[in-house]
Amino acid sequence: MDTLGGGLGNADLTKLSDRDKQELQQFVMNESQKARIQSSIHSLTDTCFRKCIPAGNVKNGKLDKYEEPCMRQCVDRFLDANMVVLKELERLR
Amino acid sequence: MDSLGGMGSFPSDPKTQIMRQVQQEAAMQNARMLVEKLNEHCFERCVPKPGTSLSKGEEGCVTSCMEKYMGAWNTVSKQYVARIQRESAQGGAVQNL
Repeated sequence: MDTLGGGLGNADLTKLSDRDKQELQQFVMNESQKARIQSSIHSLTDTCFRKCIPAGNVKNGKLDKYEEPCMRQCVDRFLDANMVVLKELERLR
Repeated sequence: MDSLGGMGSFPSDPKTQIMRQVQQEAAMQNARMLVEKLNEHCFERCVPKPGTSLSKGEEGCVTSCMEKYMGAWNTVSKQYVARIQRESAQGGAVQNL
C-alpha cells in the first residue's frame, strides 16, 4: 500500500476548501499533542520501570502489589520534581 | 466524492485521506517506540550472558518481561493522563513536559 510510510504524495491538496484546510490544521494540532503525550508516556515508563522493577530475571508477567503502586508514585513524583525544576529556573531568571 | 470519512477502503476525499495517513503514521511511531523499549529492557534483564542459543528460561523471561512492561506502560498512561486532566481542569496553563 502506498499510503503507508510515505509523505502525503497522492493527496491532492489543491482540492481542499478553506474549511477543510482549517479542519485539517486543527486535526494535526490535536494529533501532535497526542503524539507528545505518548512520547512522554514512553519515556516515563522507561524511567519508572528501571526504578520499580528490580533488576534481573522476570518470573511473573503481572505487576505485583509493590510494583504497581511504585509505577504510579514514580509518575507523580517525577512530575512534581519537574515542577520544582521549572519553578526554580523561573525564580533564577 | 465519498467524503464524510466513510469506511470505504480508499477514500477519494483528500482530507479524509490525509487524516487517515496521519493517524497511521502516529500509530506506527507509537508501536515502533514500544518495540524498541521492550527489546532494550527485556534483553538487558533476560539475557545477561548471551549463549549459543536462547534458552527456554530466557525465552520465558522475555515473555513475562514484555507482559510486565506493557502493564507498566498502561499504568503510567492512566496515571499521567489523569494528572494532566486534573491539572488542566484547575488553572489553564499546564506544561506537558
